[in-house]
Amino acid sequence: MKKRLSYGMSMVALALLLMAPRLALAHAVLVSSTPEAHATVRGPEVTIHLKFNSRVDGVRSRIFLKLPNGQTQTEALDPQDAPDALRSHAKLQAGSYILLWQALSTDGHTTRGEIPFTVQ
Amino acid sequence: MIWLLRDFDLLSVILRAASLSLEALTLGGLIFLLLVAVPAGADRLIQTRIRRVAAWFALALVAVKAAGLAISSLELMSDSGMSFREVASAGYFIAGCAMAGAALVLFVLLRSRRRWVLAAASLAGLVLLCSSVALSHAASRMDSRVLLLVLTGLHHLGTAAWIGAMPYLLLGLRRSGADAEQAAKTMVRRFSTMAIVSVPVLVLAGVGMSWFYVGSWQGLYGTSYGAMLSAKIYLLLLALTLGGGNFLLVRRMERKPQPLLLQIRRFGELEIVLGFAAILAAASLTAQSPAADDMPQDKLTGHEIAQRMEWKWPSFRTPTVAQLVPPTPLSVAVPEVVFTGGVPNDANDRAWSEYNHHWAGLIVLAAGLFALLSRLPRQHWAAYWPLLFLGLSVFLILRADPECWPLGPRPFWASFTAPDVLEHRLYAALIAVFALFQCGVETGRLTWAKAKYFFPAMCMLGGALLLTHSHALGDMKAEMFAEMTHTPIALLGVTAGCGRWLELRLATAGLPGMGGEERRGRRIAAWVWPVCLMLIGLLLLDYRES
Repeated sequence: MKKRLSYGMSMVALALLLMAPRLALAHAVLVSSTPEAHATVRGPEVTIHLKFNSRVDGVRSRIFLKLPNGQTQTEALDPQDAPDALRSHAKLQAGSYILLWQALSTDGHTTRGEIPFTVQ
Repeated sequence: MIWLLRDFDLLSVILRAASLSLEALTLGGLIFLLLVAVPAGADRLIQTRIRRVAAWFALALVAVKAAGLAISSLELMSDSGMSFREVASAGYFIAGCAMAGAALVLFVLLRSRRRWVLAAASLAGLVLLCSSVALSHAASRMDSRVLLLVLTGLHHLGTAAWIGAMPYLLLGLRRSGADAEQAAKTMVRRFSTMAIVSVPVLVLAGVGMSWFYVGSWQGLYGTSYGAMLSAKIYLLLLALTLGGGNFLLVRRMERKPQPLLLQIRRFGELEIVLGFAAILAAASLTAQSPAADDMPQDKLTGHEIAQRMEWKWPSFRTPTVAQLVPPTPLSVAVPEVVFTGGVPNDANDRAWSEYNHHWAGLIVLAAGLFALLSRLPRQHWAAYWPLLFLGLSVFLILRADPECWPLGPRPFWASFTAPDVLEHRLYAALIAVFALFQCGVETGRLTWAKAKYFFPAMCMLGGALLLTHSHALGDMKAEMFAEMTHTPIALLGVTAGCGRWLELRLATAGLPGMGGEERRGRRIAAWVWPVCLMLIGLLLLDYRES
């Protein structure tokens, strides 16, 4: 009996081993953005709008800005105007910025990306 | 730990895959008890054993969900300064807690022998299923959300009633004696009837989900999501073929039950492995965006695929290490991957990778050829074919990551922080262990009876690992081309493992009642795996990144 059980367990162990991982490359995919990647926008009032392929959590997602001086600051998110979009406003001086976004999709996956842009 | 949580997503995806499998096993145990074991009059010992195993799977699911929630919460809190209260009110957190709670209730209930407990357990099972569906792709879709939630629920239910319940059938068939034989026959018949319902439910729900998630034919053949879905379909078709074989055996069971019950168990073992490999592919799918969401410019066209798959003789020319893009320090390279997904390869990088794949192909082709030769009379020297894989292991360590020791400046131990390097070294270690083990088995030096199962297990494990392997090349089309070669190799690996496993298991069983048909099946299985090895070699020889 013990031998039989241990054989059964080895089958299950093999099955569990087969459930190895894959990189979570993307889930909430960025469909469009304002500003677009490598775009030049007029400052100092800059509207940030990110549209995704799926519902994202507007309270628990985040937008960061990498400033021309190398520092990173967190941008406050506006209330969502659509379940698949994030929106924010920033006052930016002229220079090169990188927008870093982190989106929590409704099903619990977190995805990230970056959008470099320039403010005139 | 940081790279585990944030950069590699390794742990969270392992937990996701484990969660899906344990859900199928827990619900499968419950369904098997309700619809097969109890109505079939299986004796108390069998029922107790099934309840106990299902209960432990439920407890394992609690642990996996708790670990998954802890990791995702830590990740969210550490990255954005969120409080635990904020995270705990998120939809995914509530659904995860409901799932863990339902699994815990199932653990408690399934350990009790009272009959009414099964009715209460069914309710807990329903909560488990619904909370799992709330964590699927369907929950975050913008369109046809309710329909997709229903289809996902049916897909999970069909999986549990077929793949998840199958291990319990094997457990139920282990008793001997006249009464047990009668109960076993009834269980097999009832399980077969259940499968006739659950398989179409699983397949039709899957087709419905694919309609929405894939969106077009190009989505199926031209995207990573489509490639993984095709892999899942292939694995399910293999499992269905075995299931179909079992269905035919069930109809012949009245004549000679003992050998046929044994054969049903042997086919059932493989059905389980293939089914869970398909669940692995499903876990991979949940970590990717659906093909329907990919931008048209990111999808491969039929012409692009035909051009890449066209046979070209490998050149076996490699650039020097100095010609490759100079490596950045690990402290810069690893965090970069978080937001950018990797640095695009240049022509020399691609030529380096192609050269590696071509040599690997030559070694695997030779191994398959020698494995075939070793079956001929007076060709015993060819039984040393596994040693060729030692060469492959060393080759992989030396050349897979030229920016790392011994060819590059990155130190051996520190470079483990890069996910690709970790994966390559894991493969190299697996291949070396396999080579030594299998050489012992093939030449008769290793007399441990279970050692011969190492090869099929490694083939299946290696194939499954390759299914999960991703190429962060910084270009979606380049990644897709790499997957186009790797996915068939992974499937051939799983097929080779299954062939060898079936050959060994049918031979070990002795099967006094085995007919000519079954012997022929065993002979075919014996030829399948060397041919699969050779096909893998040819695919690697035709590998191109440009």
